[in-house]
Amino acid sequence: MKMREITVQRLLDQGADSLKLKVLAGEDYLSRKVQETAMNRPGLALTGFFTYFAHQRLQIFGLAELTYLKNLEPAERRSRLEAVFKQQIPGVVLTRKRRAIPEILELAAAYQVPVLCTSMVTMDFVNACTVMLDELTAPTKRVQGTTLELMGIGVLLRGDPGIGKSETALALIERGYSLVSDDVTEMRRTSQGRLFCWANDMTRYHMEIRGLGIIHVPSLFGVSAIRRQTELDLVIDLTMPTGEEDRTGVLQETVDILGVSVPLIMLPVRSGRDMANIVEVAALNQKLKELGHDAAKELDDKIISRLNGVGRGQ
Amino acid sequence: MGNKSISRKLKVENEYGIHARPAALIVKEAARYTADIYLEKDGNRVSCKSIMGLMTIEGFPGSWVTLIATGSDAADALDSLEALFVAKFHEA
Repeated sequence: MKMREITVQRLLDQGADSLKLKVLAGEDYLSRKVQETAMNRPGLALTGFFTYFAHQRLQIFGLAELTYLKNLEPAERRSRLEAVFKQQIPGVVLTRKRRAIPEILELAAAYQVPVLCTSMVTMDFVNACTVMLDELTAPTKRVQGTTLELMGIGVLLRGDPGIGKSETALALIERGYSLVSDDVTEMRRTSQGRLFCWANDMTRYHMEIRGLGIIHVPSLFGVSAIRRQTELDLVIDLTMPTGEEDRTGVLQETVDILGVSVPLIMLPVRSGRDMANIVEVAALNQKLKELGHDAAKELDDKIISRLNGVGRGQ
Repeated sequence: MGNKSISRKLKVENEYGIHARPAALIVKEAARYTADIYLEKDGNRVSCKSIMGLMTIEGFPGSWVTLIATGSDAADALDSLEALFVAKFHEA
């Protein structure tokens, strides 16, 4: 899946505090796009070797690069730096609060490249910035559905309006589980193929319950009833009964969300059926499966081996 | 016939935009129809039968939204929802 591009401006906005980023030069070119989450230290490029130069990446100038440049003759220094700036790089970051070499500031303007600085040590910056770029560039999606966390298992409840998603969620909250989002869930796929769910900023921790209206969950049930974010483990679709439901649970259906395959359970809703209880058990069962214990499959294997044993007269 | 999806662009013209009360009115109106009705803005699509959904689309005053309906009574649903937008959700 293609990653989303982000601008240097976005990284600066998000990283002003945590990455201690500031702009040194090229303020007008912050709209440049970062196309890779990895960063590059341009040591070899500064010596003139440009084969495999990762020009789409942010270029990090640490102690080594800057010390190397300082030891060059001014004319040489400028031409070496110019060769790097010519490569259409998205931006330059100077670490360890180093003072910028004047040539860098000039070239930033000439080649329209933003130059940032941070007070962080190079290695810490690269690690933290990689994580942040990964988060900012992850594909996202808004889906219709209520998300809960039950004992570390993230469950997305989907279904037609009015089928009882919020009512089921409310019953689970009363049993001590946590609400992540009601009715509208935002999702992000990390580069490792994990899905995370959270709520829209506007309606976070609010729910709409038919007949009651809008309620604020932490005010009623306390902070333990909410969770800011959860990893998605299971999708449960509340459906009208069709008679086609899987009765054994041997066939594990899945649903594709942002390119990730997530286990899916179709739960028919009937009046008088305690949906919260069934969702709770489904989440527990999913946890068991993740631990490698699949009850339906184990029973089926036992039956198959017995049948085949009997058939051979043992 | 019934599965054709129709859409209409509407402007949010009431004073405060799509806040809780207009959202509730839209949901109430949409619930009268069997059609699947969605509201789309800035690439985000939410069900018109979900109050929480409608409150997340940031339908601020003066913005444009697209109504999309699919189903046998889709045309009627769009007409009545459009009337609601035109009437500025009956806000004084």
